[in-house]
Amino acid sequence: MTLAAHPHAVRPLRKRIADASEPYLYSAPALILIIAVMLVPLVLGISYAFRDIQLLNPFSGGFIGLDHFRALGEDQAFFRALRNTLWWTGASVFLQFIFGLILALLLDKPFAGRGLAQALVFLPWAVPSFLAGLNWAWLFNPVIGPLPHWMHALGILDAPNNILSDPQLAMWGPIAANVWWGIPFFAITLLAALQAIPRDLYEAASIDGAGPVQRFLSITLPFLAPTIAITILLRTVWISNFADLIVVMTNGGPADRTQIVASYIFTQAFKRLDFGYASAIALVLLVLLLAYSMLIVLLRQTLLNKG
Amino acid sequence: MASIDIQDIRKSFGTFSVLHGVDLTIRDGEFIVLVGPSGCGKSTLLRMIAGLEDVTSGDIRIDGRRVNDLAPKDRDIAMVFQSYALYPHMSVADNMSYSLKLRRTAKEKIASAVGGAAAKLGLDPLLERRPRALSGGQRQRVAMGRAIVRQPKAFLFDEPLSNLDARLREQMRAEIKKLHGDLHATSIYVTHDQIEAMTLADRIVAMHAGVVQQVGTPLDLYDRPANLFVAGFIGSPGMNFFEGCYLVSGDQAELRLANGVTLPVPQRAGIEPGATATLGIRPEHVVLDAHGALEAKVDLIEPTGFGIIMHVSIHDVPMKIFTLDRAMLDPGPAVRVDLPQERLHLFGTQGQRVE
Repeated sequence: MTLAAHPHAVRPLRKRIADASEPYLYSAPALILIIAVMLVPLVLGISYAFRDIQLLNPFSGGFIGLDHFRALGEDQAFFRALRNTLWWTGASVFLQFIFGLILALLLDKPFAGRGLAQALVFLPWAVPSFLAGLNWAWLFNPVIGPLPHWMHALGILDAPNNILSDPQLAMWGPIAANVWWGIPFFAITLLAALQAIPRDLYEAASIDGAGPVQRFLSITLPFLAPTIAITILLRTVWISNFADLIVVMTNGGPADRTQIVASYIFTQAFKRLDFGYASAIALVLLVLLLAYSMLIVLLRQTLLNKG
Repeated sequence: MASIDIQDIRKSFGTFSVLHGVDLTIRDGEFIVLVGPSGCGKSTLLRMIAGLEDVTSGDIRIDGRRVNDLAPKDRDIAMVFQSYALYPHMSVADNMSYSLKLRRTAKEKIASAVGGAAAKLGLDPLLERRPRALSGGQRQRVAMGRAIVRQPKAFLFDEPLSNLDARLREQMRAEIKKLHGDLHATSIYVTHDQIEAMTLADRIVAMHAGVVQQVGTPLDLYDRPANLFVAGFIGSPGMNFFEGCYLVSGDQAELRLANGVTLPVPQRAGIEPGATATLGIRPEHVVLDAHGALEAKVDLIEPTGFGIIMHVSIHDVPMKIFTLDRAMLDPGPAVRVDLPQERLHLFGTQGQRVE
């Protein structure tokens, strides 16, 4: 028996073009949307970094190559902002995570009024960040807020001063507000992950003789690890870009002690109206965060493959 | 190894009562199967013995020691879960040695215990694998390995074979029986599968609605079910029941069904003439006989390969017959049957067996 010979020996050109372009046509709507909505603004923004764009100077706008980056390399304020960003992000994420985990563990156990407690715990997340910033700025203000007096009474402060105006302590103000505001994110995600752990694993462990600490270390923590990795990654990127609280509470001061890269970009763009320089700083921040994200994703991948 | 004593155990969740006073004595080395439909309280009873549920009232003693208030780890028992509950982040060897490590057992002792259990269960080539790289049957084996390395006083099994397919279940059933033959460990096994109960148990505890219905050897329950529940639950296909009025005339007794049919039954002293009674006969005990006393209309034929299940009706009262006779694959519209007197079970008004 022979098979039917040459089914597609001669095909008209139009048919061949149509066949070849078929997959591209199918994916075109999604691709066009992504390019229009994401890539075009991104490329435009990046292009500003290589142009001299000052809103108050009508003759600006020309291409200046890497001039912004050379200036950036000598900008001490930028490097200070970079160090402040590390401190701000590290302390905020760490404290948010620890308190979020503790809250999630507490809320995982059944108790009377748990539904109400859960709702209350998640409330800060719903407060607009500017409102949260204002609120905390007032709390730290000794004229109207109680916190300086309490901290003085506890011996933490020598005098009931506003820590937001103390160069040594100012950063703790926005960090405290940020921790309060961001705990719910960790509490929600970790609680969801906790509730997905099969109960009979804990029962098997209790029969095997594991105490609460061992159960936490050998069951809870391994189960939470992927969630912890991804939430910390998300929050780190998020918080290092998050200037709202700082702009509202200290505006980068005193003496640039709370200036982070994100608020520095804000200052350059909207106070000095130098969009080109601001874009250059933003580009550097973008590259740093991309590198960081890659690192975490790789780490998570190796952990998951090992596990 | 140990005996387990359960005295008047009760359990309620809030106002909802699950166990209504269970008494049970389990001898050293005995294999006990708790069997019953879902929600009968068998798993709750097992979990109370394990210490995973609080006891509402009553006493549990293991080897004479009251354990009501002991933590699960101090009761010296091991449990195999339906989901296996293997620690997913540990290798098979770590899963099996976890309890020994927590008890600070010497390294050499752990190695020999794990090695011994692995050899017994054929787990040697899998010791370095993670649970998720194992098949269902292998996971099941690891769960049993984890239980036996500790040499506990008693093994508790909570529907351990329910997540396996039929073929594997059969194989693991035989392995569990063999393992019990080797170890002679006191075992309590919970299942809703009466075949598992019949094949594994030294004694079966049949439970229903939080009450023990009957305790006895598998053949006790099959031959002399204590009540209608046990009679219907044990055996497959299930026992046929006919409810009617028990009548005596002279030395003859009969059961008159609602539709007027009368079936001759043996005379029993334990039941008043005129009372409502239920007659039971297992499908495999109905005799097909061309000269039988009763005519039965054939409704449906179910060949199982091994035998044939015939659904018939006697004057519209349905009945099942199990036969090995291949000729019954095509029996025609009706057959004649006999219900041999010595195979009949009689149950009184309350559903209790009457002799």
